[in-house]
Amino acid sequence: MPADAQPQSLAIRAYKVGFGDCTLLTFRYTGKNRHVLIDCGSTGSDDGSISRTLKRVAEDISERCGGKLHAVVATHRHKDHIGGFTTSRSKNSSGDLIANLKPDVVIQPWTEDPKAQPDAVRPTGVSSGARAFTAALASMQSLAAAALKETQRRPSAFGRNMLKQLRFLGEDNIANRSAVVNLMKMSRRRFYVHFGSVSGLEDVLPGVQVRVLGPPTLEQSGEIRKHRSEDEQEYWHLQALAHGHAGKAADILFPGAKTYAERSLPPHTRWFVERMKSVRGDQLLEIVRALDTAMNNTSVILLFEAGSKKLLFSGDAQIENWSYALNRPEMAELLAGVDVYKVGHHGSLNATPKSLWKLFEKRSRSAAQDRLITILSTMAGKHGDARRGTEVPRKKLVDALRSESNMFSTQTITSRTKPWLDFEIEL
Amino acid sequence: MPSGNQAGPPRPPTRKLTIIAQDPGVLSGGRILRARVTVPAEELDPGPRGYRVQVIDYDASTGRLYRPLRRGLNGDPFQEADDEQLLSSPHFHAFNTYAIVMRTLARFEHALGRRVSWSFSGHQIQVAPHAFADANAFYSERDRALMFGYFPGRQGTVFSCLSHDVVAHETTHALLDGLRTRYKDASSPDQAAFHEGFADIVALLSVFSLPGVVTELLARGRRSRRIPRSDLDPKRLRRSILFGLAEQMGDELSLVRGSALRRSAELEPSPAHLADPQFLEPHLRGEILVAAMMNAFLAVWLRRTEPIGDALLDRERVAEEGANAAEHLLTMSIRAIDYAPPTDLEFSDFLSALLTADTQIQPDDSRYGYRNVLLKTFADYGIHPASKVEGGAWEPPEGRLNYGRTHFEQMQRDPDEVFRFVWENRKRLRLYEDAYSRVLSVRPCTRVSPDGFLLRETVAEYVQILKLSASELKRLKVRKPADMPASTQVTLYGGGSLVFDQYGRLKFHVRNRVDQSEKQSARLSYLWEQGQFAVGASRVRRISRLHRQRTTQLPALLPEEY
Repeated sequence: MPADAQPQSLAIRAYKVGFGDCTLLTFRYTGKNRHVLIDCGSTGSDDGSISRTLKRVAEDISERCGGKLHAVVATHRHKDHIGGFTTSRSKNSSGDLIANLKPDVVIQPWTEDPKAQPDAVRPTGVSSGARAFTAALASMQSLAAAALKETQRRPSAFGRNMLKQLRFLGEDNIANRSAVVNLMKMSRRRFYVHFGSVSGLEDVLPGVQVRVLGPPTLEQSGEIRKHRSEDEQEYWHLQALAHGHAGKAADILFPGAKTYAERSLPPHTRWFVERMKSVRGDQLLEIVRALDTAMNNTSVILLFEAGSKKLLFSGDAQIENWSYALNRPEMAELLAGVDVYKVGHHGSLNATPKSLWKLFEKRSRSAAQDRLITILSTMAGKHGDARRGTEVPRKKLVDALRSESNMFSTQTITSRTKPWLDFEIEL
Repeated sequence: MPSGNQAGPPRPPTRKLTIIAQDPGVLSGGRILRARVTVPAEELDPGPRGYRVQVIDYDASTGRLYRPLRRGLNGDPFQEADDEQLLSSPHFHAFNTYAIVMRTLARFEHALGRRVSWSFSGHQIQVAPHAFADANAFYSERDRALMFGYFPGRQGTVFSCLSHDVVAHETTHALLDGLRTRYKDASSPDQAAFHEGFADIVALLSVFSLPGVVTELLARGRRSRRIPRSDLDPKRLRRSILFGLAEQMGDELSLVRGSALRRSAELEPSPAHLADPQFLEPHLRGEILVAAMMNAFLAVWLRRTEPIGDALLDRERVAEEGANAAEHLLTMSIRAIDYAPPTDLEFSDFLSALLTADTQIQPDDSRYGYRNVLLKTFADYGIHPASKVEGGAWEPPEGRLNYGRTHFEQMQRDPDEVFRFVWENRKRLRLYEDAYSRVLSVRPCTRVSPDGFLLRETVAEYVQILKLSASELKRLKVRKPADMPASTQVTLYGGGSLVFDQYGRLKFHVRNRVDQSEKQSARLSYLWEQGQFAVGASRVRRISRLHRQRTTQLPALLPEEY
C-alpha cells in the first residue's frame, strides 16, 4: 500500500452536548482529510436549548470538515445519539446542516435495516426473527411514547422524582422519526452492520481497518443465550402487544360503566388508590428502563485500527451486546492494545463490562507515555440515582477511569466558544 | 319480638358463584365454558367486599374507579348471563375474581384444617381486577393486594382477571407468603423457583379439579358420551389434557401466566435439568416441579380409571376420576407446606413434605399409589426425597425431649409457650444459641382424610437469624465467596417446623440449621453470583419484578457492573 494511502494522524473532537454523544474523527492523510461523525444527539444541555446546542455543534462540524463529511455512524436510535440529525421545515436545524455535508456512507446497526422493518413492501430475505425483532423495536418506541403520554396526562399521579425519570427515559426512547428518515436519505450508501460484518468504512478510510464488534445478530446472541430459544420472542411479543394497549389506555374500557369522581372516592378505597398510583409509576419506569436497555444494546461497536493505534467506540452498548464479542477467544488479543476508549453509555454502570476493562493492557496507575486515553461524554444528574448505585456517570467507574487512564470528560469543558475536547493522535 | 341473640333460620355455610371455568378461550358448545364454584357464604358489601377479600376496581392507567354492583350481591348474579355480558361487564369481572380468590383461599383452609392468614397485617386482601393496562398480574405484599392487568389481544381486550389459573396463581403467591413468609428471601435456585412452581401447581390442579373442564378436554369436539380406552394412555392424555388446555387457553395470556402448562407437557423427564445452568432461572426451574406434578396427576388418573371398563368408558366417570385425582394432589400439595422447613426450601424438602403430609392422613396408599407415583415422577426429573428413610417421609425427632415445663393447652396457640419449649430443648433440637430466635406462628389444625378420618395437629414454625461479617463465617465452617470483601455483612437464616400430635408430643421437626456449613456455603455462593449483595438489590415487589423478568428475559449480569 502506498504511504499516502495511510493516515498519518487522527484528530478527535468530542463535543459538549450535555447528556448525549457527538464525536468527529478526522483522519489526516497526505494531502487530504477524511471526516467521520459518530453520533449527534442530546437529551439535556446546560444552556437550556438542546436544538440550539446541537445546531452550534453542527455548524462547527460543517466548518471543520470543509463542507464534506465522509461518513456518519449512528450507533443506535436513542435521541441522545441521533436527535441532532432531526430536520426542520426551515431547513436550518442541525440535521439539515449535517445532511448538507453529503456523507458518502451512513453506518447503522442491522436493526435499522429498512428491509427488516415491519412496513417493508418488498420481500426482504431477512429472517422472520430479525423482522419480528425490528418490528418490536418500533413497537417499543410507540410504547415509550404511550408511557410518556400517560405520564403527561396524569402528572399528579406520580412523585416528582419518578416523573423526572419517566420523562427522561420516555423522551430518549421515542421514535425520532425525522432523524431516522434523515439518516436514510442523506446518503445513498448505507451499511447496516453486525458483529463480524464489513463496516462500510473500507472505501472511506483507506489504510484503516475497522472491525464491527457489535451488535450481534439474533442468531449470534442466541449462541450465548442461556434461555431457551422459544423465549426469545416473548419479550418482543409482549412489546408488540403492549404497543397496542398502552396507546389505548386512555380509551374507555367499559362504555357506559359508572365511575366515581376523583374527589369523591369512598373512604375505604383511598389508601389503596394511592398505592396503585405508585405501583403504576414503578411499572412504567420498569417498562421504559427495559426498552432503554434493549435499544442501547443495538449499538454499533467499532474498533478502528490505524497505524499503530487502536480506538474503540461502543455507543451505549451494555453487557448484553458486549457478551457475544467478549465470549470470543480472539478478543483478548485484539482489545489488549486499545489506545483510546470512548467510554460507553455516558459512563453508566454496565456499559464498560469489567471483563472488557481488564483486557485493556495500556491501563496504568502511573502516567506512562502510552497510557490509555478514555473519553467520557456525559452530564451528571440526568440519569439514574446514586442511592441505588445507578447514577450516570457511575462514580465507581469514573474512579477506575481516572486512576488507570488519562480520562477526559465533556463535563469539565467550561468554554462557551469552544465547547469541545480536542485530541491529536500520531498513528 | 325476636331478640338480637335469637338464632334465625340456619344459614348455609357456602354459596355457589358462576365463574369462567378457565378463560374466555375455552369454549363448550360454542359458548364460554363456565363453572359454578362453591365459596364460603357471607353477607357481601358492594365491591364485592367480604371478610377476607375486597375488590376495589381502580384502573391506575386511566385513573378510573368503577362503581360496584349493588344488587343481588348474595345470590349468583351472573348465573344467567350470556357471553357478551361476561366479557363486557366490569361487575362480572369483579365477581369472577372474588370467587376464584375465595375458592383458592377456601381450598387452602380446607386442606390445612384451619384459617389461613395473609402475610401482611390485615384480614382483607385488596383485589384490583383492572389494575392497569399491562400484560402483567401480581401479588404485592407491600400493597396488600392482588393486581390484574389488561391489554389488547388480536380479538379484543384480554383481561387477566378472567383467567382462572392467573387468578389462582397470584392468590397462591399471597397464601404461600402468609404460610411461609421467608420463602420470598433470596436463598437457593430452588427456593426462588418454588414460589412460581407451587403457584402453578395449585392453579393448574384447581382448574383440573373442575370436572367440566376435564370433560370438555376429553370430548375434543365429539358428542359421544363414551371414549375409547385407547384415548387413555399417558402420551395421549398428555396431548389431550395438558397440550389441549394450553392450546385453548390462547398464547396471548402466556405473557401473564407464562407457559408452565405447555412446557410441563413438553419437558421430557431428565435428571440433568436441575444441574443445567439454563434452569437456574426461577420460572424455568419452577417448571421442573410443575412437570413432575403434572405427570403424577396423569399417572394417578389413569390408575383411577382402571376399574371403569376395558373398551369404551363413560366420559363423565373418567372426567370425575381426573377431577378427584387433581383434588387429592392439590390437598396434598397445600398440606405439604406445613411439613416443609420455614427457610431455604429445596425441591427435595418439598417432596419429603408431600410424602409426609399424605402418610399422616392416609397411611394406606395401596389403592391408587399416590406416593409411589410421586416418588417416580419426581425422580424422573432428578428430585429425590430429602429424608433418607424408606418411603421418603420425614423421620420423627431423635432423643427425649423435655415437656415438663410447658403446658399442653397453651402449646396449641401461644407462641411464647412454644418458644419456652424450644428454648428448654435447644440442645436436643440443635438450635444455634447465638442466633436471634423467634417462633413465628402456632397453628392448631384439624385435617380430614378422604374417608372422613380426623387428624389433629399443631404446627409451629420458628426461625433463627444470624448476622455476621464475612470474615466471621469460618467460625461456622461456612465458606466465604472468594471475592467477597471480608467486611461484607451477611445474614444467615435457619429454622424449623414443629408438628405436634393431638397430645402435644413432637411428631416432626423439619429444619434447616443456621450453622449447616455446606448448605449455607452453597447459598452464599449463589447469592453472591446473583448480585444479591449489590447496592439496590431489593425485596420490594419482588414477584412483580420476577414476572416482568420472565417477559423481558433481561439476564442478570451483575458481576460485570460497576
